[in-house]
Amino acid sequence: MGMAQEEAAMNKRWSLISIFILLFTPSALADDAYQTRREAMVRTQIAERGIRDKATLQAMRAVPRHLFVPPHLAGSAYEDQPLPIGYGQTISQPYIVAFMTELIRPKATQKVLEIGSGSGYQAAVLAEIVKQVYTIEIVPELGNASRERLQKQGYRNVQVRVADGYDGWPEQAPFDAIVVTAAADYIPPPLITQLKDGGRMVIPVGAPFLVQTLMLVEKDKGKVKTTSLLPVRFVPFRRSP
Amino acid sequence: MQILAITQWHHFAYMIISLALLGFGAAGTGLALFRTALTNRYDQVFPVLMFLCGAAMAAGTGISQHSAIRFDSYLLFTGAFHPGRLMLTYGIFFIPFCLAALAIGLTFTKYSRRIGVLYFWNLVGSGAGGLLALGLMWVFPPREIPAILALIPVFSGFLAIPRKPGAMMLLTATLSLICVTATILRPPALVPSEYKGLSRAMQLPEAQTTLEKNSPYGFMLVFSSPALRYAPGLSLTYTDAVPARKAVFNNGDWVGSLPARQQQDAPSVMDFSTAALPYTLEQRHTALVLNMSTGMHVVQAISQGVERVTAVEPNPVLLSLLAEELAGDVGRLLKHPALTVINSDSRTWLLTDPLLYDLIVLPTIDTFGGTAGLNAIQEHYLFTKEAFGNVWRRLTPRGVLSLTCWMDYPPRHALKMLATLADMLAERGIENPRNHIAAVRSWGAITFMVKKTPFHPEEISNIRAFCRRLNFDPALLPNIQAAERAFFNALQDDLFFNHLDQLLSPERTSLYATYDFNIRPATDDRPYFAQFLRWKSLPNIAEHFGNRTVPFFEIGYLVVFLTLLQAALAAVLLIIVPLFHKPGQRRVKAQIFFYFSGIGIGYIFVEMAMIQRFVLYFGNPLHAAAAVISMMLMASGMGSYASARIKALWTKPSAILAGIILLLLLESVFLTPLLLKTIGMPPVSKILMALLILFPAAFLMGIPFPAGIRMLTEESESDIPWAWGINGCFSVISTALATIIAVEAGFTAVMLCAALAYGLTLAAGRLYRQGSMKVEYET
Repeated sequence: MGMAQEEAAMNKRWSLISIFILLFTPSALADDAYQTRREAMVRTQIAERGIRDKATLQAMRAVPRHLFVPPHLAGSAYEDQPLPIGYGQTISQPYIVAFMTELIRPKATQKVLEIGSGSGYQAAVLAEIVKQVYTIEIVPELGNASRERLQKQGYRNVQVRVADGYDGWPEQAPFDAIVVTAAADYIPPPLITQLKDGGRMVIPVGAPFLVQTLMLVEKDKGKVKTTSLLPVRFVPFRRSP
Repeated sequence: MQILAITQWHHFAYMIISLALLGFGAAGTGLALFRTALTNRYDQVFPVLMFLCGAAMAAGTGISQHSAIRFDSYLLFTGAFHPGRLMLTYGIFFIPFCLAALAIGLTFTKYSRRIGVLYFWNLVGSGAGGLLALGLMWVFPPREIPAILALIPVFSGFLAIPRKPGAMMLLTATLSLICVTATILRPPALVPSEYKGLSRAMQLPEAQTTLEKNSPYGFMLVFSSPALRYAPGLSLTYTDAVPARKAVFNNGDWVGSLPARQQQDAPSVMDFSTAALPYTLEQRHTALVLNMSTGMHVVQAISQGVERVTAVEPNPVLLSLLAEELAGDVGRLLKHPALTVINSDSRTWLLTDPLLYDLIVLPTIDTFGGTAGLNAIQEHYLFTKEAFGNVWRRLTPRGVLSLTCWMDYPPRHALKMLATLADMLAERGIENPRNHIAAVRSWGAITFMVKKTPFHPEEISNIRAFCRRLNFDPALLPNIQAAERAFFNALQDDLFFNHLDQLLSPERTSLYATYDFNIRPATDDRPYFAQFLRWKSLPNIAEHFGNRTVPFFEIGYLVVFLTLLQAALAAVLLIIVPLFHKPGQRRVKAQIFFYFSGIGIGYIFVEMAMIQRFVLYFGNPLHAAAAVISMMLMASGMGSYASARIKALWTKPSAILAGIILLLLLESVFLTPLLLKTIGMPPVSKILMALLILFPAAFLMGIPFPAGIRMLTEESESDIPWAWGINGCFSVISTALATIIAVEAGFTAVMLCAALAYGLTLAAGRLYRQGSMKVEYET
């Protein structure tokens, strides 16, 4: 090959390399940016607020929350607030998701039921830790979108069903834990039945965008007890007399 | 207002309409700047304004509902686009008001020497328009009403067309006809916020609306879905199915679930809630259910064997649905032989009912999960200290009062409820309220039971057995043990119980001062039970929960403040700023400003305070509003008309204003006792009494505005439109301001402020006339 031909080949190679860099660097940079923000979210919003469970923290680091919110809100995905996802639903504040996950004491051997898939984010976090997640969403648009999203993200241990969550998922019961994200003014009796003895159910309570109280339901030897937990410990301001 | 209440919430409706009414202020400024050009072309300009107003009225609703413009109240604090969309919505509703105000103000300016007659017809028209809108609500669905009302300005425009209409006039006439016709033939769809109860219910499978009924009481929908169930605070020991039932929504908000008719001794889901508590003590023979809604508590009472149940419901449309279209769905409940149904405001009924009851059930306040403070500026006359006293008087010696509220975090409703009960008992000389109050808590709700005589050991034992059976916990009992308060349903700490105990002690007022939310008992003068915001505590709340969460704690009240700030800012831009560009002495301008702003503030303050006072009197907020507004406007219109005919009335404005101030001061002291004394009279007598009370002050209140305009006609005619704009602007600001004063200081304070406002008008008027006389003397 002559000098001119070598030079042309070199130029062609550099062109291809430049194109490659131009095409993929922005998205790579963006992914890095989200990763950085995710790490900061876990550090400042979750770990520093007392979440200790390693599996939960790792799951929160792993799941790309920005892919579970509407695209125009991706920039706010890692902020310390809930976000609207349409159909009158919200994706919970990151801390609440972590708190709820830790509350059910997730283990790799567990089978977990979620009522109210929403965006699929909570299911994804659970799927990072437990053996199998069954999640039910009553709004078909949300349910189908979360199924597609979860599959795209590679979560093979999540099954999504579009149905009324009142009946639970009897054919897969009992469950080690149940996470009810679409809270109603009563707890459906079938869910209590489908909770394993020794199992835990967690239900957030509160108006949209308000800080949510978490109610933990525990079943032990057939007896059911509840505990209401305010994630932010509210102590009334004491004024000096 | 109704359309915005359906698509958003009534606070936002109020906010948007308040801002839109600033169109009056903008009109005044526009007239002040272009007065000569506009009045010289009055014959051409007036019809054009009317046509454009009609077009804007007809098209406005549809435009505001467009997907690119429609905003969502909940997303104002989180969504990037929604504040901008809110601004656009302001603009859309601002336009018709501005155009109408321009036409009216232009007429006042052009024919200022006939202001008395003109103002009379202006007020009469306002009153009649309100009544017309109410009437239309009975016949047409909300989305069709704006186009129908738009026919009025269009018709006015056609009446005013001169012999030689210009091209602009023909164009705007055509445009208005097209807009009105198109909107009548294809009324716009109303799209509610996705966070309203109805929107979320519409996501359920096979969701459908089975019935719609519009009225001034709201746009009522009956809704069904096989997934729609209601079992408030259901015990975790309940194992049967929770049946799906139809539900009723009003203006997109949940009203209640339709109960199935219960057989006696057949348990229902309500028997597995804390609301079943009062039936554990003994058999109840008579019960009074207040604000019965769709009848869940009524069915419970009947199934528990109560022989005579009296149920009171203020909404006649709801009662009509339950009695007719929905009779089959509720097992012909309203025809049950044990049941007597009364259509009245519950509080008014309590004041007039002579019977005594074994059990009185108050409605559950707030909703599961809370409403983020949306009810903060809603008057709750059934949850005041005086109301609880009225209930106490209607109990038999062994009778009990039962009230339930959802547990919220941080606790607010339950604490305020108990504080109100404790205050009521203290006023009745009950030294140890602990012996008269029991409370039982589930995982989500708490029911208080107040007994006229102290609980005896067997009753206490029954309450404990009730709790054990249903996995509830006693929160208050005469001899309660700490360990039993959170056996089945634990809380994060004991703070809630400590607060309950403190509220039953003589030290409860110190908790009112230190708690970060307002839990001071509501009173009839300040009947805002759901208002928990304490401004001093906002920094602490923000620190705990984050700045972005704070608006959702008390969004209703914050919206009122936002409205006031926006209105004040707009008023400054529309009125004060142009002041500096107008020729004339600033001192004189200030006098005109204070004269007309005082009238704007005073009139609205009186109107709002009177409406609230008469809500209890008439037992119906709609009747109260209609009566007060129409009577006041008619009386003021007559005053304005009389002032044109009787020289003494407009040549002695100081005497008139002094008379107004005196009457308002007298009414602030004597009105409430007078109304309570006569509340038992027949309806016709009550209407006459209302007329007797409202007419004198309202008649006089119709005089200062035309008197002021006459004053300006003689001294400074160019200031008339500006004065008109000031009056309009302050009418708008006053709506929000009156609400804030009522919440913070009570309705008596609102009346006193009204008297003060008229005092301001009196002083400004005297200074203005003295200045005029001085100039005349010097000349």
